[in-house]
Parts: sequence; structure tokens; C-alpha cells
Amino acid sequence: MLTSPDLAAHRIAAEPYYRPVGDEIAVFEAAWAHRLPVMLKGPTGCGKTRFVEHMAWRLGRPLITVAAHEDMTAADLAGRFLLDAQGTVWHDGPLTQAVRHGAICYLDEIVEARQDTTVVIHPLTDARRVLPLEKRGELIPAHADFQLVISYNPGYQSAVKDLKESTKQRFIAIDFDYPAPEIEAEIIRREAGVEAGLAATLVAIAACSRRLRGQGLDEGASTRMLIHAGRLASGGVGLETAVNAAIVLPITDDADMRAALRVAINACLP
Amino acid sequence: MKAGEVGEVGAVMERPGPNSARLAGLLAGREGLAATFAATRRRLVAARDPAGLELWAEGALALLDANAGALGLLAYARLSEEQGHRLGGAVLGEVARAAAQLCRQAGAKATEAALQAFQSLAPAMDGPGERALFWAGLIRLAAAAPDCVVPFVGRVGEVWRAGHGADFAGFIEAGLRASGPATAHGRARRRAFFALEDDLALSLAGRIGAGIGFAEMEGELRRVLTALWGSAPQLQTLPPAGRDVPRRVNIAGPVLRLPDAWPGLNAPAARRLYVASAVHAGAHLHFGNPRFPVGRDKPVQIALATLVEDARIEHLAMQRYPGLARLWAPYHRASADDGPTVAALLARLARGLFDPAYADPDALVGKAQALFRAALGEIDNPAISREIGTRLANDIGQRRLRFDARGHVTEPAYRDDGLGLWDFSAVDPEVTAEVEMIVEAARIDRRAGEDGKADGPPERSAVGRARPVSAGVEGVVVATYPEWDAPAGIERADWVTVKAMPPSLGDGAALARQLEANGALRARIARLVKAAKVGRASRLKRQSEGHDLDLDAVIEVAIARRAGLVPDLRVFRSSVLTQRDLAVLVLIDISQSTRDRLAGGLSVLDVEKRAVALLAQALAGLGDAFALMAFASNGRGEVRVHEVKGFAEPYGPEPAARLAGLSSGLSTRLGAALRHAGAMIGGVRSFRKLVLVLTDGEPSDIDTASADLVADARRAVLQLRGRGIDSFGVTLDPAGGGEGAVGEGAANEATAIFGKANVLPIRRVEDLPARLSELYFRLARR
Ligand SMILES: Nc1ncnc2c1ncn2[C@@H]1O[C@H](COP(=O)(O)OP(=O)(O)OP(=O)(O)O)[C@@H](O)[C@H]1O
Ligand SMILES: [Mg+2]
Repeated sequence: MLTSPDLAAHRIAAEPYYRPVGDEIAVFEAAWAHRLPVMLKGPTGCGKTRFVEHMAWRLGRPLITVAAHEDMTAADLAGRFLLDAQGTVWHDGPLTQAVRHGAICYLDEIVEARQDTTVVIHPLTDARRVLPLEKRGELIPAHADFQLVISYNPGYQSAVKDLKESTKQRFIAIDFDYPAPEIEAEIIRREAGVEAGLAATLVAIAACSRRLRGQGLDEGASTRMLIHAGRLASGGVGLETAVNAAIVLPITDDADMRAALRVAINACLP
Repeated sequence: MKAGEVGEVGAVMERPGPNSARLAGLLAGREGLAATFAATRRRLVAARDPAGLELWAEGALALLDANAGALGLLAYARLSEEQGHRLGGAVLGEVARAAAQLCRQAGAKATEAALQAFQSLAPAMDGPGERALFWAGLIRLAAAAPDCVVPFVGRVGEVWRAGHGADFAGFIEAGLRASGPATAHGRARRRAFFALEDDLALSLAGRIGAGIGFAEMEGELRRVLTALWGSAPQLQTLPPAGRDVPRRVNIAGPVLRLPDAWPGLNAPAARRLYVASAVHAGAHLHFGNPRFPVGRDKPVQIALATLVEDARIEHLAMQRYPGLARLWAPYHRASADDGPTVAALLARLARGLFDPAYADPDALVGKAQALFRAALGEIDNPAISREIGTRLANDIGQRRLRFDARGHVTEPAYRDDGLGLWDFSAVDPEVTAEVEMIVEAARIDRRAGEDGKADGPPERSAVGRARPVSAGVEGVVVATYPEWDAPAGIERADWVTVKAMPPSLGDGAALARQLEANGALRARIARLVKAAKVGRASRLKRQSEGHDLDLDAVIEVAIARRAGLVPDLRVFRSSVLTQRDLAVLVLIDISQSTRDRLAGGLSVLDVEKRAVALLAQALAGLGDAFALMAFASNGRGEVRVHEVKGFAEPYGPEPAARLAGLSSGLSTRLGAALRHAGAMIGGVRSFRKLVLVLTDGEPSDIDTASADLVADARRAVLQLRGRGIDSFGVTLDPAGGGEGAVGEGAANEATAIFGKANVLPIRRVEDLPARLSELYFRLARR
């Protein structure tokens, strides 16, 4: 994996389908105009990633996505020395690449990363717009087109996993949620290639499961799950089987909860 | 069989065997008895079973031997007359021997009653196995609680179900366990239980032979209702009633009351009926309106308006959830063949309104369907139910059909009793009496007791359970947890309710001063803290990956290269948190027993508080994540937790004041507290998680036997371990001191719960503060 200066691999050629839900596109464009960092909040599978892809395409910028995880260190973002035949060479991390060459950098699920990791983004996200590389004693000023976007699911984390106040307060936030029923049905129709009636049924099922959030389910069925169920169903699997495989089984292991979900699902099926 | 015949056949065996002869001899002086037995014997002779006849006589001798008295013997004779032809002499003899055994424990009166009960139940018993279970159950009861046999046998018909002999035994065991220790109070409870004057007894009895009960369904129903209607009403059981009374769900304001069980239904059928009824009631709550004032409405009008309202809310529900039609349709089976009663006609009307395609020969059904169809434009308006209901009621009135208000039961079975739809406060005095009839008819719990007994307790319990939960001193429900029912071998879902109690603040500063007074101890703890802190974050050198280079290693690589050697490529440094990446939750038992005073005048709870305060200071010094939580319980409906300090907040004056403000009371439902602690600590990110339980005795509570709570707590510990959470019990066990060895009293139970290596019994409660902190450092090092 070597640095490709023009980041060609990260450019998005075709328009990713995104159905606007509110004024999120306008807000993002305004933030972009001032290169303000953006935080996308919302539950899993509600379209955050798709939205960023769409915006990167719309603004004609390459997009570098990093999925944060528990063991992620600052070096994973910024870069590290590696060994080769001649000795040590520096290798830019994804964040550094984006900073140097003017990409949109999307840090998915930032809370998962250790807190010391999140601190490296601080100088980038205030007026300084620089990335200090301590290891190399280098200070990289951000490219004029660099923008940082993070995602953050406030729903089910404990207080311990929350973002630091000093991190939160650097971002413009856009709130995502599952779209209104008609819009969600439209998205499912389009993404899964199913007819309107089936899409509406899936949305009704999702509504049932979302009411159980916090009552034994950590999250209700996401738009993503509904699309999966729709694809299975349009692929010839019976609807009940499709919903079971794409929604009930993945979402919970609790027998009572599954039984309750199946009752609700049966009520929704025509 | 005619007497003459008996005589002729009997002549063959007129010569009595040795037992018969002995029996005749012993009865010789007792005129009435002798005559009865002679007559009974003659009848048995007809069976031509000489061996059986001897065994029968042997049974009578056993009863005589056991001092069963004239009444006991007469009961045996009567049983033999009634059932002899069916059971035969050998079986009767066996029964008599069992009855004699009962007699030795519980006396003649109990024996007479038991034989009488057996006589009426015997036809419903399935062979020798069931008979044996019946008598074994009674003998078990007689051995443990002889005084309960007579009252129990009087109502044994409500507990015995053919084919469910094992449940009969289970019922007796449950009664013996539920009554707790043999204090005067315990004995009174036990008597009430076996006289079926106790709610638990009635509900257990109701469930014998029923496939699945409310307890198993409650969690699922709550979730189904939430999923479909957005919120779940409070779910409760109806007061227990006799098993032959048809049961219907009752809506009481925001509370839904369902039967404990549906007697006679197998598990899948019972489950379907629970779901169908709950969803129907949920639709009432969702689409219904303020209640209809009764005003001058007649019972028949009320019944019909209710029926139309049922159809209206179901119509709305099926518009939103088309699949509900499949849920309810199987219950609409009424047809013109059901007979000419009004009740049957109402059931057909219900079907016709539910299913527009249903065609009934009675024009009234067609008329109802037409009226309903015409009103569909206004389906959101509950007033149409009353309008249509009134018109249908008039038709029924004109036909001079008699409506039996008292006997009225809503059909089909999944529909609620309808009382929740009406406001009975504004009843016109003229019709009061009539309306009361219908109310009373539906209020089956009242009707249940023919002997008037059932009136009292169920009413009281209904009030007790419906008690509104106000916030404030009552606490807020924060969670429900399952509980392991050891004797039944099942986990009861959502069985225990945990309430978070509002903090009451005490004098935290005084608590701190008490600690300061003990300088030596604090100094020792401070040293431990310091030692534990050193080397907290450790850097690992020479790693094959890491976040930066290990300079020394890099230089060695360079040297090795120059020298033409194979370099060691592990040239990175990484840092790991040491083993002590630890979160701990201290669970403090504040049940009634912690009120006990120690020699020094302090209560157990006072010492607990000091120990926890000391530990908290140490933990705060270490920077380990920790939380403090106290618990006590008042039955499964109310496990109270007091959050003294959460993981997120620092230990400061406020948590100290909350700690100082704890007070003793209530019982120890440890399993639920452990599960709640697990839920709290589960969200914390740390390498190791530890729940430290501070308790002074075995788990106990008012509604469950201690042994079962121990089993449940054990299970909770194992479940936590499965999730990577260790639990450790520190037991204050001053009483165990005399015997010396570990394994006495509370420590014994604690070992059963936490495992031998995870218990620290503390004999001198005063030592607790020092020992608790030391223990923590020991555990933290593991
Ligand atoms: N507004 C939308 N327009 C188009 N597609 C959408 C929209 N919302 C959701 N989707 C669909 O839902 C799927 C899941 O969305 P996406 O992957 O963006 O979720 P996410 O919010 O990033 O989830 P996570 O937090 O789990 O990463 C997408 O692949 C897309 O098909
Ligand atoms: Mg109803």
C-alpha cells in the first residue's frame, strides 16, 4: 500500500444514490465551503456512509474512509516508520494522505477508537488546520480541500465510551435517523428492486422492531437490514423466510424476543 | 346385580381366609361396623377374586392397626362399595395400607377425609402410577405438616388433575417451601396455602394441567404490545378463580389483567390465546376513547355496543396490520348450528362483523353487517359502536329473546370482558340493579367462590397489585430480569423488577472523620495504593509490531546487517495497559439483618459503610473505574437499588453523603441484584470486571424459598462469568465464629453461590474495613 499522490483510487466516478431526507445536503455544502469538520450522528445502517460518498462525489473530492476500532492507535491514522532494505521509511497513514492531498477523510465510528487517538485530530479541526507528525518532527498544513468527517452513534454507548467534550465541540453536526416511512419505502424499492407494497410492509416491520429499542433490543431493524430482506425476497425466497433471515435472526439471540418479533411481523404481513 | 345373585355366587367363597376371619373377629364387638363390613364383603365376593378379598381384608386390618377409628373404617367400606367393582380387592387393600400410613402421621380425621376425597377422584385417576402419586403426596404432606392434611384434602379436587400427578407432588413441595421457617407465622401461611386460601396456591393450582401460563408469556406479551402499539400497558394477572369459570381479559384503565393460565389448553393453544387477547386489548387502548357512560343503557345494549366496539377497533387494527386477521379468525367459529340462545346469536354477530364475507341465515347478522359497512366512513368515531349496538339491541328486544345478563360471557374467548369500555359511575338509578348484574357476571373473580371464601383474598390482592406506582419514595422501575426457578428447572423471563431508589443523603463528612480516626489503617492502605500504582502503564520493547520504533533494537539490526548476520526484526515498541485495567462494582447488602448491633454499639451497616468508604478512597487514589450500589428487596416486584456512585462520576462529597444515608430494611434477593450489577458494569470498557458483593447472610425474600434464591444467585454468578465479569462475595458471618470451620451459616451459602475460591468470610465484623481493602488489592493483582 503506497501513497498515490492523486488519490485516484479514492475518487468516486458514478453518482452514489442518495435520497435526501432533510436539509443535510445544504448543511454539508455550507460546512464544506468553510472546510468545517462535520460529525454525522445516527443509528447504524441509516445512510451515513452513503451520504458521505454522495457528498464526496458531488463535491468532486476523493474520499478516504477509516473504520475506527478498539485497538486503533494514533499511528494507524497518522502513519509510521516501516523497515525496508535501506533502513526505515516513513509511511503516511490514511489521515495524513488526506491532509496532504486534499481528500475528504471519513472516520467511521470514531468513539470506538482509544481516546488518545482522537486527540490527533484536534489541531486539524480548529483554526490551525495542521497535522503534527511527532515521530518525524514534521508539521503538515492541511491541503485547501481537506475536510474531516466523523460518524458517531450516540444511541447505545455507555458514558465511558462517549466522545470528549473538547472533541465534540469542534464539529458541525448533522443528525441522521431512519427516514420517514414513505421515504424509507422509496429507498428500499430502489435499492432492493422490490415493488411498493412489499417495501411498505418491510417499513412497517421495521417500525415494530424500532419500538422495541431499549426494551430488549439494542437497535431496531436498520434501513440496511430492510434492503437485505427485500433483496432476499425479490430473489425468490418467501417473504417470511427472508424477514426471518435478514432481520429476526441477526438482530437478537433472545428466544422471547424472537417470538415477539415474529408475532409483530406476522401482523404486518399481508 | 340383584342381591339374590350375589348370595348364590358368594356361596362359593363363603369360607373366609385368615385375614377375613381376623377382621371379622376384631369387628365382632362393634355392631355398626361389623354389619357394614359384612355387607361390603358380600359385594366383593361377587368379583370371584379370593386373593383380592384377602388383600382387601388385610387393608382393613392395617387401618385398624393404625387407629383409623370407626370413621376411617367406614370411609374405607364406602369406598369399597362404590369403587370395589372397578378397582378390585388388591387395589383397595393397597389404598388402605397407604391410608393407614397417612393415619399414623395425621390422625383418623385426616384419613377419613382423604379416603373420601380419593373416592371421588379415583375414577379420574390414570392407573396405579397416579394412585401412588396421590397417596405419596398426601403422606409427604402429613409427615411435614400434619395439620394441613384436613384442609387440603377438602379442596384437593382443585389441585388434582388426571394425567398431572407429578404436578400434584410439585404443588405440595411448593407449598412446603413457600411457607418458610416453622414459626407461628410460617405455619399459618402454610395452612392458608393448603386450604387454597392463598393467592400463590390458587395460581399454582390453576396452572396444573395448563400448558403455559402468564409467567412464561408476560415478557413476550409486553414486547408484542410495544412492537405493535408503541407502548405496553402494565400487565397483571387476574385474581385466581375456579378452573371451570370461563376467563376473559380485563382492561382496568392502563392495566391489562390476564388469566394466570388457560386451563385445558395445551401450550401452543394457550400461547396463541394469550397473544390474540393481548393484541385485541392493546387495540382497545390504542384506538379506544374515553369510556362510554352507562347512563340508562340496558345490559343487552351494553353487551351489543361492546361487541360493535370490538369489531370497530379490530377493523382499525387490521387496517394497519393486515396479518392480525390471521391471528383472530380461528376464534370466530360460531354458526347457525349453535342453538337459538341470545349468547349464540351474539357470537354470530361478532363473527359477521369480523368477517364481512360470513353469511348467516339470521337477518339480524346481515343487518349488523350492513350497518357496520355503512358506518365505515366514520370508523374512527367510537360513537358508531353505541349507535349500532343500540339498534341491534332494540331488535333483539322486539323479538322477545331473553338476554341472560348474569351469565353473559364475551365471545370469542380472546376478547376482553368489555367492562373497561364503560364508565359505571354515572348509572341511572333505575337500571342500576340490572347493570350491576352484568358487571357482576363479568367479574368472575367474585363468582368463583361458591362458599363465599374466594370473595375475600382475591379482592384484597387485586387492590394490592394495582397500587399505582408513584415516583419519589417508590422509586422508578429501571429494569426487569429473569430468575431461575430451581424446582421447576426453568428460567422465568422478566420475573423480577428492579427499581432505582432516590438517594437519601446522610452525613458524609462524619463518615470521613470516622475513617480519619483510624490512622494506622489508612496509612497501610495508602502504602498499598502507592505500590499498586507503580508500573501501571508498561511499555513493551522488541515487539514485532507497535506504534513506534524501539531505537535500541533498530541499532542492533543495523549492526547485524553490517556484520552480515540475520537481523532480529522485532524492532517496535508498544505500550499496553498493565493487568490492572480493572473496573469494580461494589454491591452492598442493606437488608434488615444489617440493622443488627455489634458489641461496640455500631450496626452491621455502619461497619459496611466505613469499609466501603475506605475502599472508595483507595480506589479513587488508584484511578480505577468503580461504582457503588446498595440493594434490598421486597418480593420479586420490588428489588430496590440505590446508586451510591456511578462509574462516570468521581468519588466526592455527594457519593459519600449517599453512602452515609443508606439505611437497613427488607430482604436480600441477591440474584437480581447481581444481574443488575452485571448490566451496569457490562457497559464499562475495561480488561477485567469485578463485582464485589458485601453481604451478611444468605439470600432470602418474602415470596421465594431461600434455597431457590441461592440457586438463582449461583446462576447469576455463572452468567456474569460467562460475560467476563468476576464476582466475589465478602460475607459478614459473626454467627459462624463459634463452630470454627468455614462452611457454617452465611459462609456456606456464599460458597455455594460464588465458589470456594471467591468467598471471604469475615468473622469479626469490625475487621471488615481492613480486610475489604486488602482483598481488593489481592484481587486486582490476579
Ligand atoms: N437516504 C438514503 N438514500 C439512499 N440509500 C440509503 C439512504 N439511507 C440508507 N440507505 C441505504 O442503506 C444502506 C445502509 O446505509 P449506510 O451504509 O450508509 O449506513 P450507515 O449509517 O453508514 O451505517 P453504520 O453506522 O452501520 O456504518 C445503504 O447501503 C443504502 O442502501
Ligand atoms: Mg374488546
